[in-house]
Amino acid sequence: MAYLEAILINVAIYAIATLGLAIFTGYTGLFSLGHAAFMAVGAYTASILTYFYKVPFFAALALGVILSVLVSLLIGYPTLRARLRSDYFAIATLGFGEAVKVILENFDLTQGARGLPGIPKFSTLGNTYLLLVLAIILCRNFLKTTYGRKIIAIGQDPVAAEMIGIPLLPNQLLSLGISAGLAGLSGGLLAHYTTFIQPSIFSMDLSSLVTAGVVCGGMGSLTGPVTAVALFVIIPELFRGFALWRLVFYGMLLVIIINWRPKGLFGYEELNRKNLPKLFSIAGITGGLSLFMPTYRWVIDSRGYEMFALFVAGGVAGAVTVLFGLLGKGLSLALAPIAERYHSLRRHLPERAASSSRDHGTAPYGTARPTPESWVPPEPGADTKTPILEIEDLRKNFGGVVAVDGLSFKLSEGELLGLIGPNGSGKTTVFNLISSVYPVDGGTILFRGMDITPWGPTEVVEAGIARTFQNIRLFGSMTVLENVQAALHREGTYSLVEGFLQWPKTVPQVERRLRDESRRLLSIVGLEEEADRRASTLPYGLQRKLEIARALALRPKLLLLDEPAAGMNPREATELVELIKRIHRDEGLSIILIEHHMDVVMSLCRRILVLNFGRLIASGTPEQIQKDPLVLQAYLGEKAYAVIR
Amino acid sequence: MFIQTIITGLSIGSVYALMAVGYSLVFSVLNFSNFAHGAIITLGAYIAWALMVHYLQVPFFPALLLSMGGAGILAFLNERIAYSTLRRRRAPSLYLMISAMGVAISLQNLLYATIGAKLYALPPVFAMDVVHIGELTISKMDIFAFVFSALTIAVLHQILIRTKVGVAIRAAAHDMEMVSVLGVNLDVLVGVLFFIAGSLGGMAGVFMGVKYMVYPSMGWITNKAYIGAVIGGLGSLPGAIVGGLLLGLLEALVSVSSLGGTSLSTYRDVFSFGILVILLIFKPTGFFGRHVEDKL
Repeated sequence: MAYLEAILINVAIYAIATLGLAIFTGYTGLFSLGHAAFMAVGAYTASILTYFYKVPFFAALALGVILSVLVSLLIGYPTLRARLRSDYFAIATLGFGEAVKVILENFDLTQGARGLPGIPKFSTLGNTYLLLVLAIILCRNFLKTTYGRKIIAIGQDPVAAEMIGIPLLPNQLLSLGISAGLAGLSGGLLAHYTTFIQPSIFSMDLSSLVTAGVVCGGMGSLTGPVTAVALFVIIPELFRGFALWRLVFYGMLLVIIINWRPKGLFGYEELNRKNLPKLFSIAGITGGLSLFMPTYRWVIDSRGYEMFALFVAGGVAGAVTVLFGLLGKGLSLALAPIAERYHSLRRHLPERAASSSRDHGTAPYGTARPTPESWVPPEPGADTKTPILEIEDLRKNFGGVVAVDGLSFKLSEGELLGLIGPNGSGKTTVFNLISSVYPVDGGTILFRGMDITPWGPTEVVEAGIARTFQNIRLFGSMTVLENVQAALHREGTYSLVEGFLQWPKTVPQVERRLRDESRRLLSIVGLEEEADRRASTLPYGLQRKLEIARALALRPKLLLLDEPAAGMNPREATELVELIKRIHRDEGLSIILIEHHMDVVMSLCRRILVLNFGRLIASGTPEQIQKDPLVLQAYLGEKAYAVIR
Repeated sequence: MFIQTIITGLSIGSVYALMAVGYSLVFSVLNFSNFAHGAIITLGAYIAWALMVHYLQVPFFPALLLSMGGAGILAFLNERIAYSTLRRRRAPSLYLMISAMGVAISLQNLLYATIGAKLYALPPVFAMDVVHIGELTISKMDIFAFVFSALTIAVLHQILIRTKVGVAIRAAAHDMEMVSVLGVNLDVLVGVLFFIAGSLGGMAGVFMGVKYMVYPSMGWITNKAYIGAVIGGLGSLPGAIVGGLLLGLLEALVSVSSLGGTSLSTYRDVFSFGILVILLIFKPTGFFGRHVEDKL
C-alpha cells in the first residue's frame, strides 16, 4: 500500500510541474528546457525554509513559488524582449538550468553537490492532490478569461495578436510566471516528499519527462498533459528492469507524436465525454500490463507450465483491457443525455440574453436595416473635411529594393479610399508601415493629427487603426466566437485575480457582455450561425469575413482592408461589397481598401490611388483612373499599351 | 601566460566553430535549431572509440574519416526519420525543434542503456606531444585540431561556392520553395546538407574525444557551440566561425581569471550562457545574422 501511495504522490507532483509547462509551451508556443531549474528554485527555497528556519510548510511552499516566479521573470524579460525565435528562448532556458545547477553546487547554504538530507516529510497524498486539483481549476479558470485568450492568441499567431493590440512581452511573461510558479510548487512538494534533494535531481532528464508529458498530452490542453505524465510515472514502475530505457522511450515518443499525431492525446481538448473511452482504454492497458507479471508468477508457482502461465496472464491482461474499454464506452454513452442537457442549457442562456437585448433595440443590426441600395459612395471632398490620416513623403527600402518611394496622400474622415496597383507595387507595405509592422525609413504618418510614425503596433491599434491581412491570419484552433472575443481584450475589465477565481460578482457579467458583443459583431458580417465552429474549418470567404469582424471588435476609426475579396467568386464579392458599404455607414469608419477585383473597387470608392514601384502614379475617380494613360501602361506594359492606343 | 591562454582558446574555439557550422548549415535552410546535432557529435566520437579502441586498432586518420562518414550517415537518417515528415508538411519550427529534442534525449540515453556511463579515452594521438616555442607549450593535438578544422571549413566554403550542390544549398537558404520549383530535388538537397553537417560534427566529436574523454553526455558541450552560432548569427557560415572562435577565446580567458580570490573556472558555463542573454538584449541577430521577416 505504501508503494501505491508513493506512485500516486509522484504522479501528483509531476502532474503539477507538467501543468506548469503546459500553460506555457502548450499555449504560447515557446519552448522551455529549463523547467527543472524552476522546480529546483522552489524545492531549495521551501526546503531551506522548513529545514533551517522551521517555517510552516505551506508558507515555505508559497515563498518557493514566489521566488520561482521572480526568477522566471528575471530570465524571461531579456530573452523574450528580443522578440525573436523560440529557439533562442529554448537555449537561454537550457543555459539557465545549467546556471542554477552550478550555483546550487557552489553555494554554502545549499550544501553543494552533497545536497540537503533530512527535509521533513510534509507532502501527503491529501495535500498533493488538493494542490493538483486546485492548480487545474485555477489554470482552467485562467484560460477562460480575457487574459487567457490573449495568451492563446499569441501562441496561435504572434503577428496577428499584435495587430489586434495584444502586446507580446507582458503576456508571455505572465504565462511564464504562472508556469514557473507551478514548477516551483511541484519542486517544493517533491523535496518534502523525497526528504532529500541535490542539484543533480533537477537535471535535463526531469525537464525531458515534463516536456514529453506536454507534447504527448497535447499542446493546447491541460488535462491531456496531466494524464500523459501520470502514465509516464506509472508505466515505468511496471517495467522496473528497463529503468535505463525509460528516457530512450520518452525521446522516441516525442519524435513519433510530433510527427504523426501533433495534437497529442486529446488534441487541443480537455478530458471530456467524447474522449472518456480513450482514457479508459489507456487505463485498461496500463492495468492489464500491471496484472500480467503477477498473474504469470502466480500460475508458475502453483502449476509450473510456462506456456499455460503465459496464456493465463495474457488472458487476464487482455480481459482487463477490454473490460476497461467497454466500461469507458458505456460510461460515455450513459453520460451522453446529461451532457446534451448541459450543453443545450449553456448554449441557450447567453443567446436568450443576447436576443432580449436586441429586442430592446440597442443594436441597429436587426432585420430592419436600411436597404443597401440607398447607399451612395461618399464624396471625395478631401479639401472640405478634416483629414483623418495624412501621409507625407513615406519611404521604405528592403535591402536595395525601394518598396515605397516618397508616397504622400490624405484620407478625409469617413472616406472610402481605394488603393490599387500591379503586384509588388508596395500596397501591402503601405499598410504594414501604417500599422507599424515595419519601421519607416522616412516620412511621417499623422493619424487624427497625432504623429504615429514612431509608435509600436499595439499603440497604433489603441489609437484606432485596425487591419485585415492579405494572407488570412486567424487564430485557427479557436472558435469563430473566441476569435472576436480575443480582439475585445481591452473590454475585459476584471483583474487577473478575479479571473483566476472566476469571481462570481464580476467575471460572468463581463464575459457575458463580451460574448454578446462578439455575437453582435459576428451578425454584422453574417457569421452568427458559425459562432461555435473552429475558425480554421471555415471556408475561405467566411474566414475573410471573420477577419473583418475581428478588426471591428477593436473599435477602429480607420480600417485597412488588404484584398478582402481575394479568392472570392463574383457572388461572394458582391456580398462583400454590401458588407463593406454597411460597416462603412453604420460604424462611421474611414476605410482604405487594397483590392485587385476592379468591380469591387469601382463600386465602392469615389477616389482611387494607383501605386507602381512604390510611387503614386495616379489618383482620382474610377472614371478618371480607367482612362489614365500611366495606369494603363503600368497594368498592361508599354508595348501592349502602344498597341491598344 | 596570456598568449598561452589565447592559443588554448583558439584551439577549443576552432572545435566550437566546427560544431557551430553544422548548426548554421541546417538552420540556414530549414530554419530551425537542430538540437540533435550534439547527439550526432557524441555518436561520432563513439564510432571512433569503437574503431580505435574497442573492436579494432584502426589508426587515427582512417578512424577519423570513418567517424565522419558514420556521423554523416546518422545525421542523414536522423533527418529522414525525425524531420522529413514535418518538413514536407511545413510544420512550425517548434515541432522540428521538439522532434530534435526527442532524438537527442533518445540517443544520449541509448548510449547510457547500452554502453554505459563510463568514460573512455581515445588513444592519445599526439595529445602528449608538445611543441615549445619560446616559453609557450602547445600540444600538437591543439595545433592539429585548429589547422584541420580551418582546412575543413575552407573546403566546405569551396564546396558551397563552386559545386552545383553548394549553389543549390545557398539558394535554398534564401528561398526553399523557389529552389524546389526550379527542379532541385529537395530531399536530396536536405540529405546532402545533413550529411555534411553530420560529418563535420563527427570530426568535432573525435577531436573532443581525443582532447577530453568519450561519454554519453559529451554532447552537452555542443550547446555552447550553439551559443557560438547564435553569437555569430544563426544561419551564417562566417558567423558560426567567428562566434565559435570568440566564445572559445572568452571561455579560456574566464577560466584563468579569478574574482576576489575565487577562480571563475567553475562558472565558465554560466558565463557563456550569460553572454548569450546579454547578446540577445543588444544584438539579437548576432554579428552576421539576417533578420527574417514574415510575409503578411
